[in-house]
Amino acid sequence: MLLSGVDRNRRLLTAAAGFLLAAVMGLVLIIGFRLATQIRGNVGTLQRASELETYPSVVSQQLTALRERLDTLEYTGHVHAELAESVRGFDRDFAALEREHDLDPAAMHAATALWHSYTPVLTPVLAYHGEPYSDTATNSSLSRSGRVFYAHVRRAELFAQANAAALHRQLAAVSASLQARTAAAASRLRWLLSGGVLAVLLLGLAAAYLQLARARGERAAREAQEQTRDILATVREGFFLLDADYRIGAVWSKALTHMFGRENFAGLSFEELLRDKVPPETLATATKFIKLLWGERAHENLMKSINPLGQLEVSMDNGRGGKETRYLQFDFHRVTGPKGVKHVLCAVGDITSSVLLSRELHEAQENAHSQLDMMVSMLHSDPLQIGTFLDSASAGLKHINAILKEPARSHAEFSKKLAGLARELHAMKGEASALNLMSIAQRVHHLEDMVAQLKGRSELTGNDFLPMVLKLDELLAHLRGVREMTLRLTALRDNAPSPEATLSTPALRIGSSGPEELAATLHSLARKLAQDHGKEFSLTVNGLADCPRSYLSTVKDCLIQMLRNSAVHGIETNEVRRAGSKAAGGQVRVDFRRAGAGYELLFEDDGAGLSPETLKEAAVRKNIITAEQAAQLDNRAALALIFKPGFSTRSEVSMDAGRGTGMDVVAKAVYGLGGKIGVSTNPGRFTRFKIALPAASETAVA
Amino acid sequence: MLREEELKTFVDGTTRYFEVAAQQPATIGSPYLLEGEPAMHDYTGMINITGKREGVVYFTAPRAMLTVLLMKMQESDFSHESMRDLVGEVANTISGNARRDFGHDFVISVPSVFAGEKPQISQPAGARAFVIPIHWRSHSAKLVVSLT
Repeated sequence: MLLSGVDRNRRLLTAAAGFLLAAVMGLVLIIGFRLATQIRGNVGTLQRASELETYPSVVSQQLTALRERLDTLEYTGHVHAELAESVRGFDRDFAALEREHDLDPAAMHAATALWHSYTPVLTPVLAYHGEPYSDTATNSSLSRSGRVFYAHVRRAELFAQANAAALHRQLAAVSASLQARTAAAASRLRWLLSGGVLAVLLLGLAAAYLQLARARGERAAREAQEQTRDILATVREGFFLLDADYRIGAVWSKALTHMFGRENFAGLSFEELLRDKVPPETLATATKFIKLLWGERAHENLMKSINPLGQLEVSMDNGRGGKETRYLQFDFHRVTGPKGVKHVLCAVGDITSSVLLSRELHEAQENAHSQLDMMVSMLHSDPLQIGTFLDSASAGLKHINAILKEPARSHAEFSKKLAGLARELHAMKGEASALNLMSIAQRVHHLEDMVAQLKGRSELTGNDFLPMVLKLDELLAHLRGVREMTLRLTALRDNAPSPEATLSTPALRIGSSGPEELAATLHSLARKLAQDHGKEFSLTVNGLADCPRSYLSTVKDCLIQMLRNSAVHGIETNEVRRAGSKAAGGQVRVDFRRAGAGYELLFEDDGAGLSPETLKEAAVRKNIITAEQAAQLDNRAALALIFKPGFSTRSEVSMDAGRGTGMDVVAKAVYGLGGKIGVSTNPGRFTRFKIALPAASETAVA
Repeated sequence: MLREEELKTFVDGTTRYFEVAAQQPATIGSPYLLEGEPAMHDYTGMINITGKREGVVYFTAPRAMLTVLLMKMQESDFSHESMRDLVGEVANTISGNARRDFGHDFVISVPSVFAGEKPQISQPAGARAFVIPIHWRSHSAKLVVSLT
């Protein structure tokens, strides 16, 4: 920018010097021409004046010669003619001299007067045309007219002799004035030429200096350009300027070539640069952002904070015919001039390594946190319970893998897998949550997300299951890690110096995985759910000691699911309870008892109850039944909707509810044992599930 | 641990082979984790991966499938050697795809081919094997990927 300004001034100065040079030379030539013309005229006039100076004496001599010839009676014709010629020549030249300007006026005036005084005496001489002699046989003599002519000649001779010197002086004075004028003109010409040469020399020197300075400036500019080129070729960031039409300028850094896999960027629009590399929505946002940068009022720092291209994921050719994902960071700076924003400078950095590193770091931190959380959870849980859970989870995953392994080619076959996967995963997540093993629960939750997404697809292929099987592998690896950690903790506990002293803490309570542990698990889950959902309720568990061991697992799954439902859907917040004239703090009751030959499990909460209308609306929303079918359902049939697969009143999915996989799992598990399940409710007052189980084949109870 | 894009590269390499060689793309079945001994078909083409990552990738197919594939490729030689060459070629295509997408991170061996005999599979420790069923026409083969 600076260089171009200096260069422009230098060019202007050089042009001005050239113009002056031409003007001075032109002026010198014009004035010199005029002076030379004047001098040439003066020289001619001077020559004429010099010739005129000789005339007075010539006329005088010719008059004397004419008189002498008359004295000797010689022929006078030719002398008379010469005299007449001299007088005519004098008249002609004198008249020409009179036309000249700037002659010495006094001398000219005197000469004119003198010459005019010749006229009266010369006129009779010149006017004579007769024969001056009269001849006889013996001699010749002047004739009468000859005597008159002689008298005129004699008078003229005397006049000329008397005035010739004076006329010569006056004419000499005229010549002198002419000489002086010519000398002055010559002197002016000399000065002019000297001045012109000097001016030309000076201007030539100035032009040469400017040319030299210009060459020096150009060399500096070339060097600066070379340095700029070196910088642009070496810098690792991609730099380019965008003009008001959002097009890239003529200069850009070499790094851009590697980043975008093309050689020429000149004139390319910003949209064209990113098209095919980012999703259309990102491209649209980026284009809008670029337009905003041209707004005069847009604050650059503020714009920086909303830059949507701070970390842009782009898909690039990897140079081997394949594609690779890279992360680019675009930074924008406005280049302003006197008329506002001239360009926007874009700096593009390839931050792929730092993004990946930060991601790995984040994952490592997450892992460390989850391991720590896991360890804390394990310290507060019974290792045997965890062991039982891990066995059950491994069996669940084995089952999931078996579901995946079933051959499938059509959408229907793939779709069928999803329902089975959802049930297995949901049960596993419930157990993990109950034991507060959140790192496992979250991983299972993620898998559930994947299943839920696939459920919405209209066409399923094996490709859709690839991410899921990878997550399954990751979950298995995680479970292996948890198992190893459990073994280490158990070994630590076994080596503890006084186990009795710590038996009171739940973390070190050792015992069989029986009804007591289930009750403890339920209490622990209730506390966690209350905390997670901002609810307050107490749990009462009775009679689980009567639960046959063979039913324990199913009862546990059912209770966990129902407890989660109560915490999420049933129990209201204290504000809502108070508004409904209910006591703060809800009640959840679990009763297990023998009933005839079999057993009865009662689960009840004093929460919001179930509204048949709400259930019908949710079922229609989830496309489980149509609106027409919903209108025909009575209250009892509406309540039965909660046992349908995919049913949920929640529109958002959380760790504890919203998947629509819950009560159908409970019902399936109960039916699997040959039992029955029923629900009764009073909206705003309570919800009660009654599960009837047949006599167990295994009679041993805990 | 195996990443999704890596698994996709191996799968695409395999299905693309059918598309190019027989003008009929293969589809994949439901992927699962390998438990126990791998179930091998009649012919197996295998590549070993070393370097920053270690593992094994193999394509195993029944004779019937390879015969139909050769027919679709206008081949008239259905010999044992042709079958071996064919699974070797599939393994080679998978290897090319992996080189293209992952470059120097993977040092990939020349494909080895097994027919009938039980192959020596050096599965990396701590890495599970993913089985991806490859369906083509009425036949099924398997692509098995195990990578640290």
